[in-house]
Amino acid sequence: MHIDWGALAIVTVVSITTSVIFTILLAAGIRLVSAAKIRSNQGGSGTVTISLGYALLGVAGLLVLFGIYLIVPQFH
Amino acid sequence: MTELFVVITVIVVALIFDFTNGFHDSANAMAGPIATGALRPRVAVILAAVLNLVGACLSTAVAKTISGGLFDDSLITAPIVLAGLLGAIIWNLVTWLVGLPSSSSHALFGGLIGAVIVGAGLSSVNGSVIVSKILLPAVVAPLVAGLAAAWCTRLAYRITRKTPSVYSNTGFKYGQAFTASMVALAHGTSDGQKTMGVITLVLIAANLQPSGTGPQLWVIIAAGVAIGLGTYSGGWRIMRTMGKGIVEIETPQGAASGAATSATILASAHLGFGLSTTHVSTGSILGSGVGRGAQVRWSVARRMLFAWLLTLPGAGLVGGLAALLSDRGVSGVVALMVLLAVACSVIYLFSRRHKINHANVTDSHEVLVLAAATPPTYADDPRLDAPAKPKKVKRPKAKSAA
Repeated sequence: MHIDWGALAIVTVVSITTSVIFTILLAAGIRLVSAAKIRSNQGGSGTVTISLGYALLGVAGLLVLFGIYLIVPQFH
Repeated sequence: MTELFVVITVIVVALIFDFTNGFHDSANAMAGPIATGALRPRVAVILAAVLNLVGACLSTAVAKTISGGLFDDSLITAPIVLAGLLGAIIWNLVTWLVGLPSSSSHALFGGLIGAVIVGAGLSSVNGSVIVSKILLPAVVAPLVAGLAAAWCTRLAYRITRKTPSVYSNTGFKYGQAFTASMVALAHGTSDGQKTMGVITLVLIAANLQPSGTGPQLWVIIAAGVAIGLGTYSGGWRIMRTMGKGIVEIETPQGAASGAATSATILASAHLGFGLSTTHVSTGSILGSGVGRGAQVRWSVARRMLFAWLLTLPGAGLVGGLAALLSDRGVSGVVALMVLLAVACSVIYLFSRRHKINHANVTDSHEVLVLAAATPPTYADDPRLDAPAKPKKVKRPKAKSAA
C-alpha cells in the first residue's frame, strides 16, 4: 500500500501555518483599526495605529489574492 | 441505437449528480457565513452558485480518468458509470434528507465500486487504494482542518480580547465572506470538473468524440450550470447541521474556521494529498468550536462520522443493485430511470414534512425527518449533550417577540 506520508505532513504543516498567519493578520488588523477608531472617537489621533492596522489587513488581502491565484489554473 | 440511448441517459444522470453535488456542498463554503450573519442566506447561495459556475468553466485540465486508480480503467463502461452515478445520487439525497454532510466524490467512488464489483467481481477493486485515497484522507482531513481551526480560533479571540465586538465583528465578517468565496470557487474548479470528466469519457467511449480530446464547450457549460443551480438551491438541511447543528458559530470563530478551511483545501489541492472539501470544512467548524471552548454537539459529529464511513458501502450497494439493471439495454435503463424518479419523489416528499429553506435555516439546530413522530426536546433534556445555553437565551426572546 502506498501512502504518501511526506505529502500528508507537508499539507498538515502548510495548512496550519497559513491559516494561523492569516488569522493573526486579520485579528491584529481588526484590533488596531478598532483601537484607532475608538481613540479618534474620544478625540485622540490614531493615524499610525490605523495605517498599521490597514497594512496588516492588506497583507491578509494579499494572502486571499494568492489563494485565488492558486485556484485559477489559467494563472499558472 | 441502444448505445446512443444509454449515452444520453448517462449525460442526463451525470448532470443530475452534478446538481446534487452542488446542493450537497453548498454548505461547505456558506454554512459559516450564513450562521454568523456575515452573508444573508440568499446572497450567500447566489455568490456560491456564481463562483461554482465560474470555477467549473475555469478548470482546463479535466481529469481523464474517473477511476482514480481504484480499478482498471477498461472496466468503466457506460452502464457501469450509469449505475455508479445512480448510487451517488441516491446517497446524496438520503444524506441530504437527514441533513448530514458527506463527500460527493466518495459517494461517486462508492457507486462506481459497487457497480464494478457486480460487473467484474470483488477482485477487480484495488483495496489498498481505497484505504490510502479514501479512508485515510477522511480521517486526516477533519483532524488537520480541526487543529488549524482550533488554533486560529484561540488566536482570534486572544488577539481581539479587548476589542469591543461592535468594532471587530465587521472585520471578521469580511474575512469570513472572502474565505468562503475562495472555498466556493475552488469547489467549482474541482467538482465541476468531475462531471465534465464523466460525460467526456462516455462520449469518447461511444466514439462520439475523438479520444484524447478535452470536454466540449456545451459539456463545460452544462456541468457549470448544473453545479451552479445545485449550489443556488442551497441544500438547506445540510446548511443547518453545519452552521447550527455542530456548534453555535460566533463571528470571530467563523472567520477562523473559514481561514482554516480555505488554507487546508488549497494546500491539499496543490501539495499532492487530496482531501475532501466536505471533510475539511466540517472539521474546521468542529475544531473552531473546540478552540472557542464552546459545547460541541458530539452526537451530531458522531452521526456525521458514521455517514462518512457508510458513504462507500451505502452508495456502493445502490450502485451495485443498479448495475444489475443498467447493462440490460433500453428496458433496463428505462426501468432504472423510473426507479430513480420514484426514489427522488419519495425523498422529496419526506423532506416536505419538515421543510428547511433560506428563511428558517438558522432558526434551529435540528434537522428532523419525521417531524410529527419526534417528541419536542427541551434545553434541560439530559439525553441531549447539546449546550443548554444558546437555547435558553433564545427561548424568552422568541416568546417576547410573539
